[in-house]
Amino acid sequence: MHAGLDGDARAHRDLLAALVPLLRRFYARRMGTSPELEDLVQETLIAVHTRRVTYDRGRPFGPWLFAVARYKMIDHFRKNRNDASLDDASAGWADILGDGGFEDAVSARIDIDAALSSLGVKQASAIRATKIDGLSVAETAARDGISEADVKVSVHRGLKSLARRLRGE
Amino acid sequence: MMDTDSLIDSLAADLRPVAAGTPDRLVLLALAAAMPLVLFIVVMPIGLRPDLAVAITGSMFWMKLAYTSAIGAIAVAAAALLFRPDTTPPRWLWLLAVPVAVFVAGTIREAVSMPASDFMAVWFGPSWPVCSALILALSLPVAAALTLVARRLAPTRLRATGATIGLASGGISAALYSLHCPEAGASFVLTWYTLGMIAPTVIGAFLGPHLLRWT
Repeated sequence: MHAGLDGDARAHRDLLAALVPLLRRFYARRMGTSPELEDLVQETLIAVHTRRVTYDRGRPFGPWLFAVARYKMIDHFRKNRNDASLDDASAGWADILGDGGFEDAVSARIDIDAALSSLGVKQASAIRATKIDGLSVAETAARDGISEADVKVSVHRGLKSLARRLRGE
Repeated sequence: MMDTDSLIDSLAADLRPVAAGTPDRLVLLALAAAMPLVLFIVVMPIGLRPDLAVAITGSMFWMKLAYTSAIGAIAVAAAALLFRPDTTPPRWLWLLAVPVAVFVAGTIREAVSMPASDFMAVWFGPSWPVCSALILALSLPVAAALTLVARRLAPTRLRATGATIGLASGGISAALYSLHCPEAGASFVLTWYTLGMIAPTVIGAFLGPHLLRWT
């Protein structure tokens, strides 16, 4: 997204293409398989493109994307049913919009990937193995061919620098 | 209907870089365009207060200006935030209570220190029947400019966004109106200025979901 904002057309293309399966699932969870689903996916891609100035580079991308996607869906309902209110998306529409954590999970994945990519390879891989993939320290050490102490130190330092970055220091 | 892949290609084809902080810059641009118009209306058809040169040496002139600008500034900041899709009304909106509390305290002091008839004369100063209505009318240029900006951006909480646009325009309009208004009572400002700022806020909350929709 950042490269796209800076004018890198290729990165922007790749980003939009990567969003397609996410958005299809996002809408499918809420609307089932509807013939309008692909329209909504396309409208959302257009909005991601035309409204990209509203993405603030300092904030996580996932919530921004799904806020646009949710707005697009409510707008879609409203077009088809004139009495539907556009406002207070998160409150009144919770029953329709709830999705059992899919959005949070995807947002977290996108943002974790972004955060880990800011660390060194060794720290990122140690954190991914022990904290996300659920390997033990010993398994990680064996897999990467380094000592257990090395894994622990990498995880510790990596998490510390992530925490610093997330606090905006 | 175009297929999704060619849509993506055509979107990526007309890619121009965007500068960070563009939404905030658009908000400032809107204010820079609309505020001179409001100021012009205050100076020309309405007229500055005749005793302006003396008034700026007193504290009440600056208190009124601070009260209205503080509310306007908080609302502008909240509106700029709400123009982004992934935001909710910020917690720091409680700061609006600070200027109001100062003027409530001032009103209480007036009420206990003045004889009742004097207090009523200050509270319902000569211009009370027009004060709120003029502030509401003067809020229109800023409200219109901020609405145009919002429509180019991506608010998703349309009612809250409409209300903050209303409050921002009301605060700015009241601040500039205070250059005309010779009233000097905290009770006057707390009542009629505040009403003048609440009116566009309520109107904004009603119009937001209609005027701020984007596709």
